[in-house]
Amino acid sequence: MPALNTQNDIQLSTRLGARAVYKYYGEVASNRGISFDARLGEIHAIVGENGAGKSTLMRILQGLEKPDQGSVVVDDKDVSFNRPQQALNLGIGMVHQEFMLAPELTLLENLVLGDEPVLRAWGPFSVIDWDEARRSGDALAKDTGVPIDWDSLSETASVHIQQLVEIIRLLRRGANILILDEPTAVLAPPQVEDLFALLRKLRDKGTTIIFISHKIKEVIALADRVTVLRRGEDTFTAEIKDVDVATIAHHIVGGIAEDTTSQSINLASKDAKLTEQNCLRLENVCAISSTAKSRALQNIGFSIRKGEIVGIAGVAGNGQDELIECLVGLHRVQSGRIILDDVDITHKSNAERRASGIGFISPDRANEGLAKLASVEENVIAGSHRDPTALIGPFRKLSYTKQMATKRLDALGVIYGDLTDPVSSLSGGNQQRLVFAREISGVPKLLLVAQPTRGVDLNGITAIHKTLRAYRAGGGSVLLLSEELDELLALSDRILVIVDGRIVGERDGTKANITEIGALMVMQGEVHA
Amino acid sequence: MPDTSSVKTGLPIQVVLEKSIGLAFPFIVAIVVSGIVLLIIGENPLDIYSLMLQEALGSGSRIAATLSAATPLLFTAVATSICFRSGVFNVGVDGAFVISGLAAATIGYGLPESVGFLILPVATLGAVVVGMSWLYVPGYLLARLQVDEVVSTLMLNFVAAGLSGFLVNAVFLSEKSGNNTTDTIPKIAEFNRLMPPSTLHSGFIIGLICLLVYAIWANRTPIGFEAKLVGLNQRFALATGISVPTTIIIVMVLSGLVSGLGGASHALGQLYKFSDGFSAGYGFTGMAVALLARNSAIGILLGAILFGALASAGTTIQLFSEIPLDLVNIIEGTVMIFAVVELGKITILRRRTST
Repeated sequence: MPALNTQNDIQLSTRLGARAVYKYYGEVASNRGISFDARLGEIHAIVGENGAGKSTLMRILQGLEKPDQGSVVVDDKDVSFNRPQQALNLGIGMVHQEFMLAPELTLLENLVLGDEPVLRAWGPFSVIDWDEARRSGDALAKDTGVPIDWDSLSETASVHIQQLVEIIRLLRRGANILILDEPTAVLAPPQVEDLFALLRKLRDKGTTIIFISHKIKEVIALADRVTVLRRGEDTFTAEIKDVDVATIAHHIVGGIAEDTTSQSINLASKDAKLTEQNCLRLENVCAISSTAKSRALQNIGFSIRKGEIVGIAGVAGNGQDELIECLVGLHRVQSGRIILDDVDITHKSNAERRASGIGFISPDRANEGLAKLASVEENVIAGSHRDPTALIGPFRKLSYTKQMATKRLDALGVIYGDLTDPVSSLSGGNQQRLVFAREISGVPKLLLVAQPTRGVDLNGITAIHKTLRAYRAGGGSVLLLSEELDELLALSDRILVIVDGRIVGERDGTKANITEIGALMVMQGEVHA
Repeated sequence: MPDTSSVKTGLPIQVVLEKSIGLAFPFIVAIVVSGIVLLIIGENPLDIYSLMLQEALGSGSRIAATLSAATPLLFTAVATSICFRSGVFNVGVDGAFVISGLAAATIGYGLPESVGFLILPVATLGAVVVGMSWLYVPGYLLARLQVDEVVSTLMLNFVAAGLSGFLVNAVFLSEKSGNNTTDTIPKIAEFNRLMPPSTLHSGFIIGLICLLVYAIWANRTPIGFEAKLVGLNQRFALATGISVPTTIIIVMVLSGLVSGLGGASHALGQLYKFSDGFSAGYGFTGMAVALLARNSAIGILLGAILFGALASAGTTIQLFSEIPLDLVNIIEGTVMIFAVVELGKITILRRRTST
């Protein structure tokens, strides 16, 4: 990266940084003296586990929160923001994980929203200059190399286009420090490459980019320097050229986890007890799409054997959510059949399917996997509250459910304070372990697992992968949906690729590699009958 | 403000204390606001408040009057809470209360006196069936057709008022007592008075039992647990195998059952007949109680007694001072606003946690 070196030689001062920032929420310190500095024309990665303090730091840099101690540094000067607008005035713009575009406006309207070019400035009667808006958008879009249809509604635009518009929108408003929060989570591998190319181009023009990510490989590929946060402190900063994946991983977890995702590839078939018996069979399953952004299912047919993990790879919105909802009984199957252990369950309710041995790890842990305002106990026993053993006559046996909850939580090593604490007081990893504790407790035949490690830290990932492997070793079958190809490759016996609601390819999980699967994910052509 | 949104397993004393603080805040604001109003009209707020306190709780008979005024609120607050804790914003308890009160009164005076002591249970049962059917309708509409329950139950209140007004004037009009009222029920069909000459009647005891059963239902039965989960997070409930539509219909029907009991208690215990204007907004005051209590049984008991005290003080206070009854409405209105502020805080919290 030649551009980087020349610029570092000229300019070593801080473009955007933090000086010993402290932030408390009640008694909990989210940031405990974090300092870092991103230089002019640098891509600076910030990595850390969930709860390491990344989000809080970003909110402070954007002016959404004020630090309790310490300050934000812009161009070597301490600044204090009262409003996000002040940060934007200094050129700081944030691309959020969930895009902030108004879904029912066109991309062009979103581009200028809040800062419209006008023909005549007549207060509330001003006339917006749409030609000028389009010109400014096109000029900025040229760099991206992706054609943008400015007149389409943003809710119908694909995710990576929305992301580009979000970036262009900030650039148009004069942002030259961009903060990107997990920007690759929603993208397919080739789109990630496009985004990285754009970010490098922007950096070479002098934009400073702060790149927040979970994915160490991406950090290595893109960033110039990296700062690791751990438990609210900055524990490590280095030039990327001086570090490797293992070093960064080591600093992120503080040297505890030995089995990280990147190193656990292909333990898949070692402990597998594959049989030829089918657990689940789908025959020509069709279903309409559940949102405007996603795809309908078209003639999906495959089977999962007993003791097998089948992974589904696909760019978000290609029908994988519909697929898992059809299987769990939350989405209507229009035609075709779903057969579990020789029993047709196509038109059974969710409750009946659960009773016949299906467990479900929802992709949306916050809103579907858990009831956040309910207690730890309520969350872990929900669904089993009508078990005959949990009842005395018409009443719930409270002492028994308490025992049942403790047993389940301990079995998966969930760390919690008190059974009556709200489940939201647990860390992301423990929340997900709690979901597993509930879903696996009935020893289901089939576990439908979607995004099991989303927002889970490295230690949690290791534990969850171990749980899934142990479950498979016991003869359980798993359908695994994951955005993390690493994860799919590490766990799956077979990987099916879904594009536009169709299965377009199948690979042996022990032999496939990321490039091959990534290519299939974005390819429309190859149809496997 | 302590967080009392979940049922805490502390000492009962602590729970009572926590609920009292939760109840007190809107009341303190209300007292300050009406104090200002009193100052503006040239009265000494302290004098008025001490008079009100005396009128509400100053003697055995005044306490009986307060509990008597609290009786309908026990039923309507429980009926409201059953739905609110399940996330169903049923504002139609008032309508169900009115229409089942009409049913109780007409059965009460309509059955031949020879039926004797059976009139009371039959009339009560009739009221309960009417109340359950009344709220089954918006429950079904919400569960199966996603008809917004706030709109449907609010509109049903007008239907209840209009329908009962029409029936009491056109069909069930008493020939003896003139306008807007049915015949009175026979002596044997009355709920007996607990502390004559006060109007406190055994409906109050039934209200307390109702409250107790509600607490057991909410905390100890599977359906109560399911209803809570549906209220906290519908998608979660659905994904764990709970039928959300069935739960919604059940809580609506249960709410109708309790409203029906309340209507029967008011018709057979308080008025001995049905007349137009049967409910003095009991459904809505009950809603305020439910909001204040955040659906907890202890909170409902305290809240109902507090509002009962306000009502009983208000009716006599205009006899002894220049203060109009409207002052009580001001206090009630202010309490309601701040109770809803509390609710607003909770829903904002919910949104935050869900993002």
